[in-house]
Amino acid sequence: MEFDKGVAIDEAKEDGRDELNKDLLKLDEALRKIQITPACSLPEQAQQVDLSQCPTSYKENSPQEKLLLAIAENFRCQYAHIYPDRKPLLLCPLNECGVQKFVSTTLRPTLSPFPELYSWDGCASFVSDFLSLEPLDPPTDPPKHLHSPTWVLQTNRGSCFEFSTLLCSLLLGAGYNAYCVSGYAVKEMCLLNQSLQQCPLLGPLVKVKATKQRQQVKKYSVKPPRDLCSGFEQRQEDRRQAEAQAILLQKQQEEERLREDGERPPPDALLGLRVHCWVLVLADSREVPENFFIDPLSGKSFSTTDKCFLGIESIWNHQNYWVNMQDCRFGCAEMTYDLGDAVKWEYLLYGAAGQSVLTIPDMMMQQEVEDEDEEESRVFEMPPSWVNQIKISQQDMETRCPGGMKVIHYRKAKLEKFAPYLLKDGLVTRLTTYSDLDCTHSSTVKEWYQHRHDHLEERELNKATNVTVEHFRPGRSFALRSHRYIMMTPETERQMDFYSCARADGLVRRVEMPFEMTETFENRPDFLYYRHVVFGKRVKVFSPSNKEAPDRVDRPIQKVVESFHRDQSKPAREDVAERIFLVCEDRIQVTYHLEDDRIIPAWRNFIKPKDSGDSQKPHSFSRQMASTFHVDSFEKPCKNLFLYEMLVHMMKEEETVALRVKDSEKEVRAILAVREQEESSIELHISIYNTARNERARCHREAQERMAQEERLQEQEKELDFLAPFLAQLVDPENLTRQVALKLRSDCLADLKQRLVDKANLMQARFERETQELQQKQQWYQKNQLTMTKEDEDEYLAYCSDAMLRIHVLKLRLSSHKDKAPQKYLSLDERLRRDPRLANHLL
Amino acid sequence: MSRLYDTLEPSVMDKKMLQQAVEEQGPQDQAGQIAKEEGVLYEEVCQLCLNYRNILKIDHLWQFTSLTKLQLDNNIIVKIEGLECLTNLKWLDLSFNNIEVIEGLNSLVLLEDLSLYNNRISVIENMDTLLNLHILSLGNNLFTQLENVIYLRRFKNLRTLNLAGNPICREDHYKIFVAAYLPELVYLDFGLLNEETREQAHGKYQYAIEEMRHNETQERKAIEAKKEQEDQFQLHMDAFVEHLNGPYLFDSMYADDAEAAKLSYLPGVPLVELCMQMFEVGLAQHGRREDELKSFFDCSREAVEENQQRAAQSVADFERARRQVMSEMQQATDPRLLETQLNHCNDEINQLCDSLMTQELQLVDQLEDIIKDFERDILDMVAGFVEVVQGIYPLLPHCRDLENHHHEKLLEIAVATLEQVAKNELEEDMPDDVRMLFVDKDTVINAVSASHDTHLLKIDNREDELVTRVNSWISALIKSIQDKEVKRNRKRIAEIHNYIDYVRDQLSEMRQERWGKNI
Repeated sequence: MEFDKGVAIDEAKEDGRDELNKDLLKLDEALRKIQITPACSLPEQAQQVDLSQCPTSYKENSPQEKLLLAIAENFRCQYAHIYPDRKPLLLCPLNECGVQKFVSTTLRPTLSPFPELYSWDGCASFVSDFLSLEPLDPPTDPPKHLHSPTWVLQTNRGSCFEFSTLLCSLLLGAGYNAYCVSGYAVKEMCLLNQSLQQCPLLGPLVKVKATKQRQQVKKYSVKPPRDLCSGFEQRQEDRRQAEAQAILLQKQQEEERLREDGERPPPDALLGLRVHCWVLVLADSREVPENFFIDPLSGKSFSTTDKCFLGIESIWNHQNYWVNMQDCRFGCAEMTYDLGDAVKWEYLLYGAAGQSVLTIPDMMMQQEVEDEDEEESRVFEMPPSWVNQIKISQQDMETRCPGGMKVIHYRKAKLEKFAPYLLKDGLVTRLTTYSDLDCTHSSTVKEWYQHRHDHLEERELNKATNVTVEHFRPGRSFALRSHRYIMMTPETERQMDFYSCARADGLVRRVEMPFEMTETFENRPDFLYYRHVVFGKRVKVFSPSNKEAPDRVDRPIQKVVESFHRDQSKPAREDVAERIFLVCEDRIQVTYHLEDDRIIPAWRNFIKPKDSGDSQKPHSFSRQMASTFHVDSFEKPCKNLFLYEMLVHMMKEEETVALRVKDSEKEVRAILAVREQEESSIELHISIYNTARNERARCHREAQERMAQEERLQEQEKELDFLAPFLAQLVDPENLTRQVALKLRSDCLADLKQRLVDKANLMQARFERETQELQQKQQWYQKNQLTMTKEDEDEYLAYCSDAMLRIHVLKLRLSSHKDKAPQKYLSLDERLRRDPRLANHLL
Repeated sequence: MSRLYDTLEPSVMDKKMLQQAVEEQGPQDQAGQIAKEEGVLYEEVCQLCLNYRNILKIDHLWQFTSLTKLQLDNNIIVKIEGLECLTNLKWLDLSFNNIEVIEGLNSLVLLEDLSLYNNRISVIENMDTLLNLHILSLGNNLFTQLENVIYLRRFKNLRTLNLAGNPICREDHYKIFVAAYLPELVYLDFGLLNEETREQAHGKYQYAIEEMRHNETQERKAIEAKKEQEDQFQLHMDAFVEHLNGPYLFDSMYADDAEAAKLSYLPGVPLVELCMQMFEVGLAQHGRREDELKSFFDCSREAVEENQQRAAQSVADFERARRQVMSEMQQATDPRLLETQLNHCNDEINQLCDSLMTQELQLVDQLEDIIKDFERDILDMVAGFVEVVQGIYPLLPHCRDLENHHHEKLLEIAVATLEQVAKNELEEDMPDDVRMLFVDKDTVINAVSASHDTHLLKIDNREDELVTRVNSWISALIKSIQDKEVKRNRKRIAEIHNYIDYVRDQLSEMRQERWGKNI
């Protein structure tokens, strides 16, 4: 329609026919009435900041600022005159509204309400995550524009100068003695190229610190047995080995060197010319032990002697601006940061530095005499910042990276960051390491998750061995702690660790091999700590019933070994240390714990009776079935009864152990099934305190607010004293006589009656008016029905239905009012009777 | 209530009855058969039930020493007796009998569950040693004194108590009273003691209980203090300086000396100070000796343990391998292969034997060395101590000097007094018997020198006693260490031999068996 209209207008202009024009105008008018409000503003539009909405301080300069600009201009002229070969300073760049602003006033110290932004590393990592870099163009000159931090926060983009300005504002707000530094740095830093650095998450490879064996020599320690080896031979051997090792080491170093050479990037043509801006934190506030730099792009801290920083032109904070007078030919290593030292740091505003000004008064005097401008600015203080307060929302803190995700390339590694709840599977961080420099062959993938309903926290996949390791938070089913596997099918190689304290059976670890299973336990009341099971091959049964579920046929157990800790309440010779059930050989071997001063434990071997399968028949027992060994030959032989009972007990134990093993297998299958199910439908857990995301909590809160609102209204209503206007008429409202009370009551009731009637009348009147209007409209419609346009008809119809509705509602209200009026009257009467002021007189 | 015992003749607990009960209640089926073949020993029986047997007198139970549960309920027992030997008893049921007095239970210190339900007992008493009681059933008896319940406070582990059906239960505050005085009780008379009752009890008997608790605490404190004192004294004994930390020696010098007491004229006492010094030295020396002992025992234990671990590991490895080989040999069919395997096994056994013996010898050597060192050091130490006591430290000679000095002084005074007495110039009022001493000079001098001799003898005796005791202690210590080491060594050697013999026997058995089969 829009298009049609446009065409029509064109035609109209061409033809110049008046009638058509009129019609078109009408149409236009009619159309204009139909307004379409945009459902929602598009996200791209939201990104664009409306310049017109900027406050006036953004668009204009205050007189003070103008003065400052003049001073700065003067300073710049002198500087350019005295040091013609130095690069021009960045003093008064244009802001987003195209107005010149002094750099110091662009800093807006702000303390943010988030606790993580109270420390410098929190601020730095936020800034580096939140913004994406726009490289300087050309890279050797400072930028012409410097946008305000608020603008930068809204657009999520900025140059290194804008990064630094934002970070410095946050740090100053948090109480750090921070400065923006304009200078020169290496290419990698300027372009935020971290692909030559080791990923910080990978950490140093060699971390295993050999704990020093602290061998305390005691007075009566026994001497070691005499060593009968030749010392000379030993030495010779040592020497040979040392030589071999040295050669090996040399070779390794050589290789290392070669590899490093290969990795080194080509030399940079613009080395030392690339302009960069970063943040300097001086050591005196917030318990900072020594000066350090923060690179706002990567969010990392560097020592002030770091090789990456090649030179400094100037530094500034929200109070003053200093130009570096020190030699930067050898980088920043030799620099000192005593800003009161006017030889090394030339300041812009006198007296605003606040630092060690008093220590060198002579210098000051000299300066004053030299520079009249300085003298003038003696009383001049840096004007307040023109920038609005920096506001960081909770949303921003959570999303962090622009669009909620960020990718950083490191040396042989790629780090991907995602905002929580951004991805459906709860992925927050993914670190991929590669085996080559070009990052084509990934070797391991490590993923961190958050808010997962299945408590998964970390998953590491080793591509070479194809082993996956998953770590879980406490609180999962089966108290699973970590799971290491190749395949998710049961009876394959895997290792599961458990939170043993949360398990009734105290299981710590279960390691499975194709035909073996080893379980380790902790803190069990029966002192069991180890169980090793060897399975046999599954016997294939070719029957139709087993075809569907071959897994249901359990593998036959061949051997079970169980080990126990020492139970101090029993004597050692009765305390079982290890029992081996050789199921396939029908034998049971029991070994006891060592007695004091013994090296050979006692043991008993049993051979199971052949008819043991039949539980009805008593087991035939003979002495040969049990053999016992005890180191003490004077030991009294055991009674047959005891041996028999023990054998019976052991056979029972064998059965229970077999059951336990089956339970374990079942549990493994259950865990795998649960894991598979969880992976197929991943749910994220939303905390009840996360009001923004928790739908139920929000509904609940809203409902509560509504309830509170209603309650408040009711309260108000209740508090309304209906007797007040009548009491006010009385002379002595405190003491009421019966007569007065009766009169009050009748007055009150009469008043209500009047009101009810008035209300009904009002409704009646409205109803009549509406009906009348509708009738008139209808008549008008019937008259003009033929000449009306479609739009008019539509309008009319809409009006009709609307009016009908209104009439209907009025009708309903009137009838309900009529119904309720007697009730209201009665209830007022009742309340009057109950009213403490009148009750005495009325009853 | 007409009970059978009125008409039936009481039976006697004789051998037949016990035998029958043991057989009936022992293992059944197959196990029973095996047990019958072997015979059951009374001292191995753990449980015995002798109820409904009309027993009048408990008898012949002294053999059942390992009994833990004994049921004698529903008999007509009149007196608790004959249970002294059943010291392992944990559960004793004497309910439904005719017992009138609690007695004869003092040796059953492990008893946890005691039932005297439905008897004719009127006083709770004679159970002081049964501190492990958990459950006590005293219902349906004749207790009339509610205060008697306080007796049960001594059972700290008592959780379940039954007093139902006694005359005391009819008293108003029976339940509250019991709850107040037995705060640890959980169940009373078949029911849980609820919080409400407890609160009531607390409110009602608060003061009485507080007082009682206070008294009990004080008693306990007194006992603790006494024990501490005894410990202290034991420590002094061990340091051989008991009774030197005060004027004991001095007092004892005069204790046996009636004359001196009469001549109660004492010089200011540096002797006590000297004793104290000596005492301090003794304690310090004792501490050093203890440290030395500890360090020696620690080291020797470490050495032995380390050696044991190594040996045990090698034996365990060998045993595992041996079992494997034995089972393999069981299945092997080739006689030549079997022969080589047997030989190989034999070699292995010899090797193990050698290595174990070598290790043991090494250990013996090592221990011998450190024992020698230790002996030398501790002997030096003791000798030093004795020297300090005897001479270099001028203590006891000093004592003697002091005593001599004192003696002379005393003599002078005595003579002077004598003269005074002779001249009848004495102003002081002396007791008559003292006055009698000063009748003539010889008597006085005799008395004084006799007293001097006694004193010297005392001092010497103390010194001798100390030295002898130190020496006997040291020799006993060294002997015990050596004996222990010898015993350990013998035990280990016997162990190794035993094992090797066993393994060899097994091997030769196997050889014979296989040969027999193959031939």
